[in-house]
Amino acid sequence: MKINDNCVGCGQCASFCKKGAIEVRGRARATDACVECGMCIPYCPVKAIEVPA
Amino acid sequence: MKTIVIGAGLGGLLSAARLSKAGHEVEVFERLPITGGRFTNLNYKGFQLSSGAFHMLPHGPGGPLARLLEEAGAEVRIVRSEQTTIRVPLKQGKPDYAEGFKDISFIEFPSLLSHKDRLKIAFLIVSTRKNRPSGVTLEAWIKTQVKGEWLVKFADSFCGWALSLKSNEVPVEEIFEIIENMYRFGGTGIPEGGCKGIIDALEAVILENGGKIYTGQEVSKILVEKGKAAGVISESKKHEADLVISNLGHAATALLCSEALSGEVNAGYLKMLETIQPSAGIKICLAADEPLVGHSGVLLTPYTRRINGVNEVTQADPNLAPPGKHLTMCHQYVAPENVKNLDSEIDMGLADLKELFPGKKYEVLLIQSYHDSWPVNRAASGTDPGNETPIPGLYVVGDGAKGKGGIEVEGVALGVAATMKKILG
Ligand SMILES: Cc1cc2nc3c(=O)[nH]c(=O)nc-3n(C[C@H](O)[C@H](O)[C@H](O)COP(=O)(O)OP(=O)(O)OC[C@H]3O[C@@H](n4cnc5c(N)ncnc54)[C@H](O)[C@@H]3O)c2cc1C
Ligand code: SF4
Ligand code: SF4
Repeated sequence: MKINDNCVGCGQCASFCKKGAIEVRGRARATDACVECGMCIPYCPVKAIEVPA
Repeated sequence: MKTIVIGAGLGGLLSAARLSKAGHEVEVFERLPITGGRFTNLNYKGFQLSSGAFHMLPHGPGGPLARLLEEAGAEVRIVRSEQTTIRVPLKQGKPDYAEGFKDISFIEFPSLLSHKDRLKIAFLIVSTRKNRPSGVTLEAWIKTQVKGEWLVKFADSFCGWALSLKSNEVPVEEIFEIIENMYRFGGTGIPEGGCKGIIDALEAVILENGGKIYTGQEVSKILVEKGKAAGVISESKKHEADLVISNLGHAATALLCSEALSGEVNAGYLKMLETIQPSAGIKICLAADEPLVGHSGVLLTPYTRRINGVNEVTQADPNLAPPGKHLTMCHQYVAPENVKNLDSEIDMGLADLKELFPGKKYEVLLIQSYHDSWPVNRAASGTDPGNETPIPGLYVVGDGAKGKGGIEVEGVALGVAATMKKILG
């Protein structure tokens, strides 16, 4: 999961990831637990999560 | 009368509920899959964290938001906080929590001043209600009145908690308007069910009155015909309306109708928009088995590096956490120049918590930061440009268009109430 510079670190995505695969500290980072399901993408208020290629 | 609302944040939903109750045909378009914007619950590990707010209404059940909810027919129980306290160091000469502290009540703040300054404050509390100071920042004004640094520290922690600003950024007029509102409406409160309790109640009103709320529908353009707002384009489809209310703040709204605003007559408006600054902040959410604050109000923390204040929402509504757990949330102001150093800002906040809660066991659930296009406040308090735009029939509501002296969501409510007055008369 690619998270771009728009990310403000609000943590909204982390609460919608069912795999607990997002760590947040000033900005979000996807961990190895990410299965690239794309569920978190629409919940980001600043369009920081990019659709995997 | 048909009204389209862009954005289902608190400002948008308040407007939609009020207008649908007054008989308008209302449609709300929200980009995200969820409603509520920065004022709803996020379920995280069984705790009701939030997308923004601390589940706290600055003026509780007596404030402008509570009044507007009632007017719109939205039923929410708001629990008035028992008290507001201030954590002060035990040794006055050593302003350091690590050396021990005690909590005093909010109204006891003058007790930390010198005898002379205490008398001065007692005098000012009376005299300023008639003759309000103006034209300077709060910090500058305090410095002309009293010598010690305590009052500035206290003001910084209050402004940091309530506005995510420092006292040298807040016009003194705005603070006196806020103080007046504290007399008028009373102190803080927590809605049952947290922020989402309010959002759910507003949605129920809108749906009951035949209004529609579309999620996952981004508005890409505001239509302007014959110089008037005429509808929106969302997901390539045109939707016509008599009125358009934007919940996005003035700047983002202007971007959606930039052609209509391109004329020379609007240059002043566009120039003014460039001066609006959002405020930034960090929220650290803690889970604990024992209370860390111990009451349902705010604990202000003036002598930290960064943390301005803490609240414990489970004191008002235990259902905001799993059984037996407490949810405690800490706020810290972030200065504009430090937005790029969030990592070290967070480090300082976490170090503060160690000193504020020595020997207490807690888990850091989530650290959330807010700035720029998803800020604590779209327009720093005291700088809001009102609810009208140069385009007739296009209004702006929300925290980029708050009413005077309205802290956060109370300001959102004052702005919406003023807009409703313009529309409904
Ligand atoms: C950390 C933090 C703590 C806070 N604490 C408190 C507190 O304790 N008490 C308090 O009173 N206030 C608090 N606030 C402030 C409060 O949360 C905000 O003032 C309030 O939620 C703002 O609401 P709004 O309606 O103006 O905007 P928003 O909530 O931002 O709503 C705007 C909506 O519009 C949507 N949108 C954006 N663009 C489009 C588009 N093109 N098309 C369709 N939809 C769109 C967005 O997705 C969003 O849902 C806090 C804020 C933060 C961040
Ligand atoms: S893509 Fe799926 S698994 Fe990966 S972070 Fe997003 S929601 Fe979680
Ligand atoms: S929701 Fe978006 S802005 Fe918020 S932390 Fe996740 S990626 Fe960053």
